Amino acid sequence: MATVLADVEWESCPLGTHRDRELEAYVRREMGTVPPSLGHFTPVPWVVHSMTALGPFNAPPRQCEDVLLDLIGLVVSQDNSCRYCFGMTRMLLRVHGFSDARIRELEHDFLEAGIDPRSKAAMDFARRLSRAAPRIGVTDLAEVRAAGWSADAVRELACISAYSIYMNRLMTVSAVPYEPMERLATAWFVPWVAPIVRFRMRRRLKQAAERARASGEVRADGPWSFLIRALAGTAFARPLRETLDAAFASPVLSRRAKALVFAVVARGLDCAASAREAQGILLESGLAAEQVHAMLTHLDSPELEPVEAALLPFARGTIRGRPAQLQQRTRAFAQTFGDQRTVEAIALAALANAVCRLGALTELG
Amino acid sequence: MSASLGAGLGAAALAGLAAAFALLWLRARRSDARARARLTAATAELERLEQAFARFAPMELVERVIARGVPTSGERKDVTVLFADLVGFTPLSQSVEPATLVRILNGYFERMSRAISAHQGHISTLIGDGILALFGALEANPWQTNDAVQAALAMRSELAAYNAELAAGGLPKLALGIGVHRGWGIAGLVGSDELMQFTVVGNVVSVAARVQGLTREHGVDVLVTVAAKQSLDPRFALRAMPPAELKGIAEPVATFALL
Repeated sequence: MATVLADVEWESCPLGTHRDRELEAYVRREMGTVPPSLGHFTPVPWVVHSMTALGPFNAPPRQCEDVLLDLIGLVVSQDNSCRYCFGMTRMLLRVHGFSDARIRELEHDFLEAGIDPRSKAAMDFARRLSRAAPRIGVTDLAEVRAAGWSADAVRELACISAYSIYMNRLMTVSAVPYEPMERLATAWFVPWVAPIVRFRMRRRLKQAAERARASGEVRADGPWSFLIRALAGTAFARPLRETLDAAFASPVLSRRAKALVFAVVARGLDCAASAREAQGILLESGLAAEQVHAMLTHLDSPELEPVEAALLPFARGTIRGRPAQLQQRTRAFAQTFGDQRTVEAIALAALANAVCRLGALTELG
Repeated sequence: MSASLGAGLGAAALAGLAAAFALLWLRARRSDARARARLTAATAELERLEQAFARFAPMELVERVIARGVPTSGERKDVTVLFADLVGFTPLSQSVEPATLVRILNGYFERMSRAISAHQGHISTLIGDGILALFGALEANPWQTNDAVQAALAMRSELAAYNAELAAGGLPKLALGIGVHRGWGIAGLVGSDELMQFTVVGNVVSVAARVQGLTREHGVDVLVTVAAKQSLDPRFALRAMPPAELKGIAEPVATFALL
């Protein structure tokens, strides 16, 4: 049965697969399985770590039940046209006991699919945060609060959405083959193995929640510390801190190039707090404010390094765009700069999209 | 005997009861299947309507209208307007069959729409053979003028490819005039209960439309205003055109042809 994303064009993946047994063992330990996409990301270890660290098996939400977690994953992935993540969440919903007919109802229009108003408000809020068209606003916040979600719970919903935003872009911009996930989503055996998978998933979530409770305070310095402070108390704050630190410490692309990616995404999403943060790093790297302004105004400048000149329009494209269009740009980037720099560029842009959308939410107070 | 008769009657009653239940269950299933079929048909119809509506308004807006009702307030926005029109459309419409004309126009609109949406714009209105496209109207877009001019270049190139197809089919070629202007306008849902569309109203639209009209006077296909040029990437090759009088605008308007 074709899904609502069946018509979404998807290019072939320009990235090679690179086996790394150590990273595979790490992912198996953390997630219980090694996803077929992993080999594309192993050239940049922090990217592999982030895929598990930011996910619910490491950063479990406290006030959002696991079914709703996957329902949010479904609507956000659908909105971002990520066939890979959409296939995965469809499969997870079957594990939760949803019939194919029920999943089809949800994907056709979850607003009219007879979901309880509280869950519907959560899904709608997560999707609006992801969509950012228009930017998330006080009305959106008021609506989700009116549906019964506390301020803390709303922050958790935002983190769940941010994880989907990150993973969707990672998979979409990389053009990771989605067919294995779509096949798995409709596999006949899923209902038969569902009770075991469900049991294991819930045990992992419980263990992760215990680990999160036992961990101490999150360091408040480093890039995007305003966001980490705003997310204090959520299980997402620590892995996000670690992911940002690892991303900025990675030797693949320069610190300046990374800050430029964040600056472009912040500007495109009209997130002033993230724009200030990126600007701070760019000034520290030796650029003058006028130079930064010139680079960001037209996403070009003779003072940019070749990889930076390619990164700026590339990062801009990831804010909103059709998968095939993004994937064609990725191919062109990979042909010039190779797999390792391409993987890091994709992950940085994906992270910037998640972080700046969260940042826009913190600006609402 | 009476015991076995009693047992026999009991068994018959049970069988009757079971048959009645089976009948009721079958009816309920049939009715359930009919209800499900009606629901599927209604969902499909709703989706079809939503998709049809999405051609006239951005999908995000369609969903907001469905969820929250029609917003009555507009929003003041800094937007870039691209106005495109076919040059020499009236003689063309008199020289080909109506069915052929509609086919030519639909092919044209499909290609132009692709070029516009690929550059973050959306079509607000089709006015006859004219297109009103907006950049930065729905969400903030700091690169909106570059996007609009990139879209104009893409439209130029799409039209060249389409003209080659038309010529191969023995049909007349099309020519295009485009005006690009940036300024403040009021964005929102405008119309009546019967017909409503997401658009921008204000001087910014009138100027873009009139600048489009200037393309014929200057013998070029794409013109941008000074206001648009100010936020445009200097790498776009432009040629200054002599200032021209525009209806409803006090001062002569300086424009630049996109090379």
